Amino acid sequence: LRRRVAVAGAVAGAVAAGWLYLRQQKERQQRSRRLRDLRALALGQGDFELRDVSGTPRRKADFLGRWVLLYFGFTHCPDVCPEELEKLSRAVQLLERDAALPPLQPLFVTVDPERDDAAALARYLRDFHPRFVGLTGTPEQVRAAAAAFRVYVSAGPRDADGDYVVDHSVLTFLVDPDGLLRDYYSRSRTAEEMAQSVRGHMDTYEPLPP
Amino acid sequence: AAGMAAPTMEERKACWGARDEFWRCLDSHGDDAAQCEKLRRAFEARCPQQWVKHFDKRRDFLKYKKMLETEGYRPPEAAGKS
Repeated sequence: LRRRVAVAGAVAGAVAAGWLYLRQQKERQQRSRRLRDLRALALGQGDFELRDVSGTPRRKADFLGRWVLLYFGFTHCPDVCPEELEKLSRAVQLLERDAALPPLQPLFVTVDPERDDAAALARYLRDFHPRFVGLTGTPEQVRAAAAAFRVYVSAGPRDADGDYVVDHSVLTFLVDPDGLLRDYYSRSRTAEEMAQSVRGHMDTYEPLPP
Repeated sequence: AAGMAAPTMEERKACWGARDEFWRCLDSHGDDAAQCEKLRRAFEARCPQQWVKHFDKRRDFLKYKKMLETEGYRPPEAAGKS
């Protein structure tokens, strides 16, 4: 009887081991399929073709390998954009204090390409973080970039002086070094909360294997 | 495209300051704009017209929000019963 119990135990053990192995294989396959999907998503989504303040063309691919905090706004913005850019700058500064963290690239994309040319952006961004990169382009390029991030943009009516405000979604996007959208922050988040969240993402980040 | 350059940081702060002074005056006079004419003119002088419109709307919205918080939401009177 004891021998039969031992044999039964060994068989059960072998079956369990086999089942665990198969499950592991299945999980591995699912993981690699997910990674393939994420990689395709990263390449396709949120891409843009714009120009920085020196006139150099910039695409999302140019920012791969870096964490990016991206905000869409315009320089004639009454209050929201300066507030959000101030917050974004402060969040970047807070994270810069920790030398162990990878650098975070602040990025500003205009939703008002008609007025916000390279010079206007350079002037505007001087008041915020020194590493801020400003991007502009043709109305079509800007429209495509905003659409890629599902950002609502609507220019208001012009007044007698030709002045107008642009209504737009107020969001700061966090993009990881693989170009994937990791998180987004609304007006209600403080700079400290933003920095904390970004740090959390940086800590849990695993690069997509090539 | 409009010829005007966007306000600088100093100009923005001057505008916001004038706006805040005007709003403080309104707050202390129960929103009676007639009591705050001078500050209103200073506000309009310091800010682009588009911003004045924007801040006027903002003030209305903030007042509405405050009313909701203090008095609660009152749905519009319906003609019939519920």
